[in-house]
Amino acid sequence: MANLALILMEVISAILCFVLLRFMIKPYRTTGEGRYLGLPLGFGFLGVSYIFMGFALYFESFLFVDDLKWLQLFTQTYAFAFLAATYYFSKKPAKNTRVWWDITYAGLVFAAVVSYLLVFEPPMFGLPSYKTVDEYFRIFNIVCLAYISIHTLRSHVSQPDPKTIWIPLSYLLLGFSQYSFLIWSIDSSFAAFVGAHILRIAGLLVFVFVVYQSFFGSRHAFPKEGIRDEEAPT
Amino acid sequence: MRFQKKGFGMRKLPRRDKLKIYGDLLFILYTESKKEKVVLTHVQLKTNVPFDRLKTYIVELKELGLVLDEPSLKLTDKGKQYLREYETVLDFMKRMGLTYG
Repeated sequence: MANLALILMEVISAILCFVLLRFMIKPYRTTGEGRYLGLPLGFGFLGVSYIFMGFALYFESFLFVDDLKWLQLFTQTYAFAFLAATYYFSKKPAKNTRVWWDITYAGLVFAAVVSYLLVFEPPMFGLPSYKTVDEYFRIFNIVCLAYISIHTLRSHVSQPDPKTIWIPLSYLLLGFSQYSFLIWSIDSSFAAFVGAHILRIAGLLVFVFVVYQSFFGSRHAFPKEGIRDEEAPT
Repeated sequence: MRFQKKGFGMRKLPRRDKLKIYGDLLFILYTESKKEKVVLTHVQLKTNVPFDRLKTYIVELKELGLVLDEPSLKLTDKGKQYLREYETVLDFMKRMGLTYG
């Protein structure tokens, strides 16, 4: 029963990520700038990581469960790395940093492929235990999410607007979720484990709320949009 | 390097790419077209691009079917749709805390 609830959590998270992916690709499609590609890649990888975890929980007694857990670990970390890279490059002038974001994204994809091969190929050198790597990767995830939260908070503070406070909140929720998973990994606290799942779903739901507000929400959301005011039904 | 007067000093404006200039220009043309006649000098002042380049951009927008020049400059339906989508995505990027332009 508990396992079913966990699988359900992973499925819901994956669905939310793939719904978000559909909208996260729009900045890249509209501007054509590669630096925004990290946004859809990040949410795509995040969704795939939840699918891996869901499969690992569903096929609990199968041989390849460990491989799936390793894949989930890598995929989730690459997701947050892609998101952090997007925010890092978004504040730099596009013209000067084009080569650097190309190199960064190519490097991340290359690292992802190498790490997946390491999991499936017979190990040439001994990998540390899953628990140890999981803790280090969680710390890396927290650093990435803290960086993004600070970046988005600074952007909100520089131009205060009630619309822009939700995204720092959602990244903070994802960061606290990773922190709770870390606590659970260290002391096996059940409350931390449940809290981590709830925080993650809450964070993703805030993203969905922001997407809804942007694309389907109030037609008067953007003050300069005279075009919308005129066309809104009266 | 482009500068804009602000008080006694000069403020450096961030560099815009062509897409951002098109977006700004379409929005200004849209607001100006509500007036009786679109005066290009006003558009030039608001978009902050040299006059010769402004004319080139308008020709390009006409070729793309986003702007119509009969009897006065105004946005086509395609232009309005483009502007609406462009502003929605810009709004989304602003909400996401992403910097553009």
